[in-house]
Amino acid sequence: MARVVVMGAGIAGHTAALHLKRILKKSDEVIVVSPNSKYNWIPSNIWVGVGKMNKSQVTFPLAPVYKRKKITFHQALATAVHPAGDSQISSPYIEVTYTDSNKNGTSAKIEYDYLINATGPKLNFAATEGLGPDGHTVSVCTSDHAIEAAHSLKAVIAKMKAGQKQTLVIGVGHGTCTCEGAAFEYTFNVEHELKQAGVRDLAEIIYLTNEYELGDFGVGGLIFTQHGFQTTSKLWTESLFRERNIHAILGAHVEKIEAGLIHYELVDGTKGTLSFDFAMLLPPFRGVDMKAFEKDGSDISAEIFAPSGFMKVDADYSGKPYEEWLASDWPNTYQVPKFPNVFAVGIAFAPPHQISKPRKSPNGTLVAPSPPRTGMPSGIMGKVAAVNIATLIKSGNGAKVRSASMADMGAACVASAGSGLRKGSAASMTMYPVVPDYMKFPTTGRSIDDTFGEIGLAGHWIKLLLHYMFIYKAKARFGWFLIPE
Amino acid sequence: MENGTESIKHAPLPTEKTLRSRRNLPFQLWRFAAINIKMIKMIRRGHH
Ligand SMILES: Cc1cc2nc3c(=O)[nH]c(=O)nc-3n(C[C@H](O)[C@H](O)[C@H](O)COP(=O)(O)OP(=O)(O)OC[C@H]3O[C@@H](n4cnc5c(N)ncnc54)[C@H](O)[C@@H]3O)c2cc1C
Repeated sequence: MARVVVMGAGIAGHTAALHLKRILKKSDEVIVVSPNSKYNWIPSNIWVGVGKMNKSQVTFPLAPVYKRKKITFHQALATAVHPAGDSQISSPYIEVTYTDSNKNGTSAKIEYDYLINATGPKLNFAATEGLGPDGHTVSVCTSDHAIEAAHSLKAVIAKMKAGQKQTLVIGVGHGTCTCEGAAFEYTFNVEHELKQAGVRDLAEIIYLTNEYELGDFGVGGLIFTQHGFQTTSKLWTESLFRERNIHAILGAHVEKIEAGLIHYELVDGTKGTLSFDFAMLLPPFRGVDMKAFEKDGSDISAEIFAPSGFMKVDADYSGKPYEEWLASDWPNTYQVPKFPNVFAVGIAFAPPHQISKPRKSPNGTLVAPSPPRTGMPSGIMGKVAAVNIATLIKSGNGAKVRSASMADMGAACVASAGSGLRKGSAASMTMYPVVPDYMKFPTTGRSIDDTFGEIGLAGHWIKLLLHYMFIYKAKARFGWFLIPE
Repeated sequence: MENGTESIKHAPLPTEKTLRSRRNLPFQLWRFAAINIKMIKMIRRGHH
C-alpha cells in the first residue's frame, strides 16, 4: 500500500488527486491537504468581478467530492516538508495546520510515500505598498476578492450614472507580475459592462501593465497568420484597444498606491502618478510560506525552494543570461532532484527563467513579466505527475516516466466579455508551445499552425462551454476523465 | 504618461464588415466549430 499526499486543491492538485485515485490500486491512499473548503474555478472569477456570476457559480464544496471518490481530505495549510523524515519519524512527512472550524489552529504530521506540491501562488500584495483589498485597489484572484471588485465597480457606475466622470485603471500592481491575460480579460469585461450600463462615455479606462508591448502576455507575444499574413499579438491587441478606446501604460512597475493615486516607474526610468476612482491590479505571485527540513532538523528551504518561494524541480536553474536560455531548460517531470518522490506542479514549481524579455530601468528597477502557468498546463502537469507516481509505485523507482515540459505543451486563453449567448464577445488565443522552442520552430519559436488569435462571439461560447465543462470535470461527475485538462 | 497611446492610435481598425462578422450567428457557429477543432488539435499535441 502506497500513500500519496497532494498539497493544494486548485487546478493542478485537484486534477492530480482525481487521476491518482482513478489509476492507483484501491489499497493505495490519496490524501489532499488544502486550506479552503471549496474548489474555485478561478478563470470565471473574472465574471464574478463584474457582477455577472455569483460565488456559488464558480465554487463548490470539496469534501463531498472527495468522500465520493474515497480521497481523504484535510482542510489545512501545509507548513513544512520533511522529505527524509526526522530523528523520530523515519518516513517523509509534512506538517499541517488545520483551518476548518473543528480543528482550527491545531497541527499534525502526515507521512507520505509520494508528495505533490500544488500549492499555487501566494498573492504577494505586500510587495507593493497600498496594493490589494487591504490597501486601495481590488483584485479578482479569489472569488471573495472578485465579489468586492464587483461592488466597487457598481459604485463607480452609480457615480457615472449621476453624471460624474470616472477613471478606471486595470492591470498589474508590480513589475514582476504574471497573469496579464487575466487583467486584459477583466479590462474588456469592465468596458463591456460600462457600455451596457450606458455610461461608457463618462469612463476613461487605462490598462496599466509591466508588459513592454501590448499583446506580450508574459510569453513574449505571439505570431500567427491571419488573412494570409503573419501578424503579431501586439498589432492585434492594439487594434482591440483602439476599437474600444482603451488607453495603455506599458512597461510599468507600480511602486506605491495611495487612496486614489498610483505611483509608478516606467522601464525608461521616468516616474509618474495616475489618479483613479477604481483600480483592479493583480498582485505579483510568490511561493506559499513553506519550509523544508533535513533528517537532522537543519533548514534546507534555500536548497528546495527558489528565492521566489517556488519549489525547484528538474529544470536548469543555473541563471544563465536571458539570451542564452533554451527550451530544454524547462522541467520535464517536475521532480525535486534530491527527493524524486516529491513533485511540484502548476504555479508551485519554480520557472527557470522569464519567457518575456526581462528589462531594468536606468534606476535598476526590474520590469519583467513572470512566465504564466495557466490552467491548461497546470492541469496537464497535475495529470502527468499522477500518472508518473502510479508508474513508480507499480514498476519501482527506475521506471521510465512521462514528460510534460511547457516547451512541448500548448495553452489556450479566451478573454471573454458579456453574458448570454448573443451579447458576448471574446478574444481567443492559443499558442503551442508555451515556451518557445527555436530549435523546433526556428522562425517564431512556436508552431504557426497551432498559434492563433481570433475575435468574435464564438470565443465567448467556448469560454462558457469551458466554464461548465471544467466545473463538471472538477466535480468528478460521470466520465470526467474523458474531458482533457 | 500613456506611453501605449501612440501605437494604439496607429493600429488597424476593423471595418464594419469585420465587426458584423464577429456577431454574425451562422459565421460564428462555423468559427466555433473551427476554433474547437484547432484547440483539440493543439491539446492533442500537448498531452503526453
Ligand atoms: C483572475 C484569473 C483569471 C484566470 N483566467 C485564466 C484563464 O482564462 N485560462 C487559464 O488557463 N488560466 C487562467 N488563470 C490562471 C489559472 O487560474 C492558474 O493557472 C491555475 O489556477 C493554477 O493552478 P494551480 O493548481 O497551480 O494553483 P491554484 O489554482 O491557485 O491552486 C492552489 C491550491 O493550493 C492551495 N494552497 C495554498 N497554500 C497552501 C498550503 N500552504 N498548503 C496546502 N494547500 C495550499 C490553495 O488553497 C489552492 O487550493 C487565471 C488566473 C486568475 C487569477
